[in-house]
Amino acid sequence: MPDLSAPGPGRSGVIHDLGYRHFDGVREGSGAIARTLFTTGLRHAYGLGRSGKSKVMPFLLLAMSLLPATIVVGVVVLTGLADLPVSYADYTNQTQLLVSLFAAAQAPVLFSRDLRHRSIVLYLARPLSSHVFALVRWLSLTVAILLFTAIPTTVLYAGAMLAGLDKSDQTTDLLKALVLQVLLAMLVAGVSGLISSISLRRGFAVVGSVMALIVLTGIVTVVQNIAWYEADSETVPVAVGLLSPWSLVNGLANSWDAGVDTVVPVDGAWVPAYAIIAVLLVAGCLLGLVARFQKVGSR
Amino acid sequence: MGRPPVISTAGLTKHYGTVHALTDLTVDVGAGVTGLVGANGAGKSTLIKILLGLLEPTGGNASVLGHDIEHEGQEIRRLVGYMPEHDCLPPDVSASDFVVHMARMSGLGASAARERAADVLRHVGLDEERYRPMGGYSTGMKQRAKLAQALAHDPRLVFLDEPTNGLDPAARTDMLRLVERIGSEFGIAVLVTSHLLGELEQVSDHVIVLDGGHLLRSSATGEFTQHTGGLLVEVVGTETERDRLGEALAQRGLTCRPRGAMVAVDPPPPDLAEGAAVHDLIRDVAADLGLGLMRLQPDRRHLEDVFLEGGTRA
Repeated sequence: MPDLSAPGPGRSGVIHDLGYRHFDGVREGSGAIARTLFTTGLRHAYGLGRSGKSKVMPFLLLAMSLLPATIVVGVVVLTGLADLPVSYADYTNQTQLLVSLFAAAQAPVLFSRDLRHRSIVLYLARPLSSHVFALVRWLSLTVAILLFTAIPTTVLYAGAMLAGLDKSDQTTDLLKALVLQVLLAMLVAGVSGLISSISLRRGFAVVGSVMALIVLTGIVTVVQNIAWYEADSETVPVAVGLLSPWSLVNGLANSWDAGVDTVVPVDGAWVPAYAIIAVLLVAGCLLGLVARFQKVGSR
Repeated sequence: MGRPPVISTAGLTKHYGTVHALTDLTVDVGAGVTGLVGANGAGKSTLIKILLGLLEPTGGNASVLGHDIEHEGQEIRRLVGYMPEHDCLPPDVSASDFVVHMARMSGLGASAARERAADVLRHVGLDEERYRPMGGYSTGMKQRAKLAQALAHDPRLVFLDEPTNGLDPAARTDMLRLVERIGSEFGIAVLVTSHLLGELEQVSDHVIVLDGGHLLRSSATGEFTQHTGGLLVEVVGTETERDRLGEALAQRGLTCRPRGAMVAVDPPPPDLAEGAAVHDLIRDVAADLGLGLMRLQPDRRHLEDVFLEGGTRA
């Protein structure tokens, strides 16, 4: 190629100012933009693509929730137990503190940052609407939480297969647990996301989510136990179970025979009640998120 | 010029309860740089938000780049860039990463977004610091990063809301020059707001003046700053020399008054208005007094004058 702008003597090259260049390539549609937003959000929930410091918390929590699973797998494989000492669904329940902490710590990353720093304005001046933005953010957090619960469960399942446990039984239990985890992730992401989008200070958002997910569940459990053991009531413990995301999912797991014990078995008309309340809670959180982002966008 | 307007509004109105942010605004905006001037609260930001489809007008309608704001907001937001007035940058992300992400949010693919971000950051003048978290940026650097994200997807129109806000005089000049380049060299239509009339005068082809949500005036900058018929004269020396010249010119029948270091000469009486008679007279007077002529130029009105006139009229 003839070089018309040959570098002068003593200079190794010439920097050309090309001037302003227009972009005439393909512009993606809203679907592709939403997918990019979803992937970025999912990565950010685990600190990927962010500072090194922001990876510590999610991966530390994930490691902590994986540790018991690997120990269980080791014990089952080495000692040749006939069954897993904990069911798949109950494992998630037993590690609920870690799951709740993960949601409480990471929801502000997806829901507070853009609002607090007002970068939401820049998003909303782009093709995606505030509704889609809010829903995609929620979906990112839901999948992040689902991965958080599904990874240890999958490790347990792999261990069960290695130990030669019955494949069809284990697979059925695993699939039940995964369905329940999807519901759980949708609920927890909705609750913690809504709280984070309202209280923009990270500290307040974390405390708010901890209150709603951990403290509330603790209160529900205490009330259920008191009502059952002291007052000998069957209705009160089941009814109180409607009040927290964890007790909702555990109640459904119990009625579905997924290996989770509750204070009082959930059966009869309570089962549809639990399911309806769970769906309504998810829907309510989504409506709240959409309304919140729409309001912020018009300011 | 026969070309369709970039922005066209008809009877656009926005009321928040009893607050009237915009009232019956009908105006067209063409290519090049258009200044949107008004005091704080005159309705500039409200107008931009309505044009972006982020706010719904109470009445009237508007189109941007041929798209109706009511039904095609998404299509409009694909083609325009927006630089908000207030801080909107996350502090823990670098300008480079942020502009790439914002370009992707406008629909550019991953590699195109990276390329465009590098280009645009170079144009706005963010060099090595583009890799640092934006929390540590000066106001000037933040304004540049905000401008870069508005240009990242190569829009056909950009809304720049108070881009010179908080900048020192040198950075202000840089930013204005950049705004001018965007309109001319980059070929992107610009709607730029400011509450300072003087700075828009330098860069705009067209100026729209808003006052309390009403349209005060919309016309080409040239018309605003048209020649008044008067002259400005400056001579070498101090105020003493200036006053000597002024007095001598007054004796010859011209109405003069001091303006800064110069003498402002009002439009001359008819007998001197022919051809270059006034210029000759001023030259001769200065020569007679032994004063060195430094400047002799037509006196143009400033946007401020128009604004004040309009303000009293309304």
